[in-house]
Amino acid sequence: MSFQCQVSRLLDDEHRSSIALLDRVGHALAGGDLGALQALAAPLQRQLAHEIGHHFGFEEAELFPRMADAGDAELAQLLTEEHDTLRAVAAELQPLAALLVAGTLGAAQRAALQRLAGELVERQVAHIQKETMALLPLLDDLLDDETDRQLAFTYTADA
Amino acid sequence: MTAPAARPAPPRRAPVGGSFLAGAAGRLLPQSVPFRYFGAATVFHLAAWLVLLFSADQWPAWRGGLGWPLAALHLLTLGTLLASAIGASLQLLPVATRQPVRWPRLAALLWWAYVPGVALLAAGMGAARPAWLGLGAALVIGALLPFALLLGLNLRAARGMAGVVLHGWGAQAALALLLASAAALVALWLGHPLLPRDAARGVHLVAGVFGWMGLLAFGLSYVLLPMFTLGRVPDDGRQRQAGAVALLAVALAVAAPLAPSATVPLRAAALLAGAAALLLHLRLMRAVQATAMRRDLGIAGRLINGGWAGLALTLVAAAAALAAPDGSLAGSVFGRLFGLAAVAGWLLTFLLGVLQRILPFLAAMHAAQGRRRPPTPSALTLPHALAWHAAAHALALALLALGLALSSAALLRAAGAVGSVGALAFASFVAVLLLRTRKASTEAPAGPSR
Repeated sequence: MSFQCQVSRLLDDEHRSSIALLDRVGHALAGGDLGALQALAAPLQRQLAHEIGHHFGFEEAELFPRMADAGDAELAQLLTEEHDTLRAVAAELQPLAALLVAGTLGAAQRAALQRLAGELVERQVAHIQKETMALLPLLDDLLDDETDRQLAFTYTADA
Repeated sequence: MTAPAARPAPPRRAPVGGSFLAGAAGRLLPQSVPFRYFGAATVFHLAAWLVLLFSADQWPAWRGGLGWPLAALHLLTLGTLLASAIGASLQLLPVATRQPVRWPRLAALLWWAYVPGVALLAAGMGAARPAWLGLGAALVIGALLPFALLLGLNLRAARGMAGVVLHGWGAQAALALLLASAAALVALWLGHPLLPRDAARGVHLVAGVFGWMGLLAFGLSYVLLPMFTLGRVPDDGRQRQAGAVALLAVALAVAAPLAPSATVPLRAAALLAGAAALLLHLRLMRAVQATAMRRDLGIAGRLINGGWAGLALTLVAAAAALAAPDGSLAGSVFGRLFGLAAVAGWLLTFLLGVLQRILPFLAAMHAAQGRRRPPTPSALTLPHALAWHAAAHALALALLALGLALSSAALLRAAGAVGSVGALAFASFVAVLLLRTRKASTEAPAGPSR
């Protein structure tokens, strides 16, 4: 996708990075490559913190209310529900990722990590799919230049 | 931290066509409506391969008349392809074109005429019982007319997706020709000819395979492929260009059997236009893949690519048949391979690739309703069954092609056996998907998904 709006481009860039990382995690999971998974644990942990906190928070505080005001409340609600689901999965995954980074992950916890990471990959991909196809194009119509500039500044300044 | 650069040019544009996902959950038909058609398609798919398995001896001598080969062909075209197209178009078009679903009870009721009608029609063809065939055809046509009305209402009220809508209207026109030519053929078998046999058969084949199913497959690709791959939806203007060329190809091919004095030049022109339409379509599909965030669609992607290769082979076989001394498809080896490549190589392969993506997607959306942590599509999927199916499908088609080319009943029987194994594997994927969706739907609303 190519987007006119700065906010859309920023979010799209993050989505692409996120998909790329999640794909690497997915391949490591599918191949049972624990070494690769361990190397990816720290970036995944950072991304989870950023995505769940900054990215989701920005969308919910700044974008979804504007969408609802413009008559797209149904989409805003759907995406918010998916954020809640992703937060729940991430909350279970984050402590396990921390143990993996520290090298103290037990055998029993490894299976849980693999199951949750797989679930996160699939849910994140589906969520990004919806945002890329539906939310980001909408922003090009929803935000005027000045609002777009201000929101892009707010987003990058708070990162 | 500095602010990002100012936007160079601020033109506003219409939402990208892929915004159809917005509010998709609110535009879902009751799950039982599309899935009853997909379920029937799954069963008829298995039935078609089983008919081949048990009637292989009849195939080498078959020249297009009543008999089990004709029954197997219609189990595949009406039973599998058209039933899936009904389920998919009733559900996907309202979602894609941002409008509410209409008359779900009517869509559900039509199944009760359509599915027994297809079964009776196939039995009548196989057993050479024109009365059964006539009754079955009446049920099928009686179900397809209201379906065509539903489809027309969806197309008329469509918002956006002009390219998809153009393909939809083309498919709709082809459906009208398909039904008219079907009625003429049934009347012929019942002893009341309305059209010359070859003209009716020619129109029936082109309108059904290339007009109805082909245009629908092309049009829905512009919705589905960007969704599957997270790629950019092709520009509407280019979709319309490709669609216009495809429509021209279908129109020329329909005209060919109706104008006996110009059949060969019309077929040659249709072939050229068809090749151009395929190239334009593939160029747009390649552009989708070039902008895709996820390029590897796994087995489904390989089947979809295989389907496109099947269409290319269809055109090659048609060209070879056209170059033969009598320029006819009927009865020749190239004619048989043309039919196989078009129906099974292209449409069936493409459809099975698409179905294994959209069935878990739709099931997960239904299971998500009212749940905080719904199941994921992969949690509903049986991946080993899909791998078995894909391998068996490819092998069965290869055996079928060899069997038809060599007029070998043994190879045809082997194709039927391998195809049946593949169809059983696909059926187990669908059955497990439905069982897991039901289980997920009856679990506590806030329970975990895995």
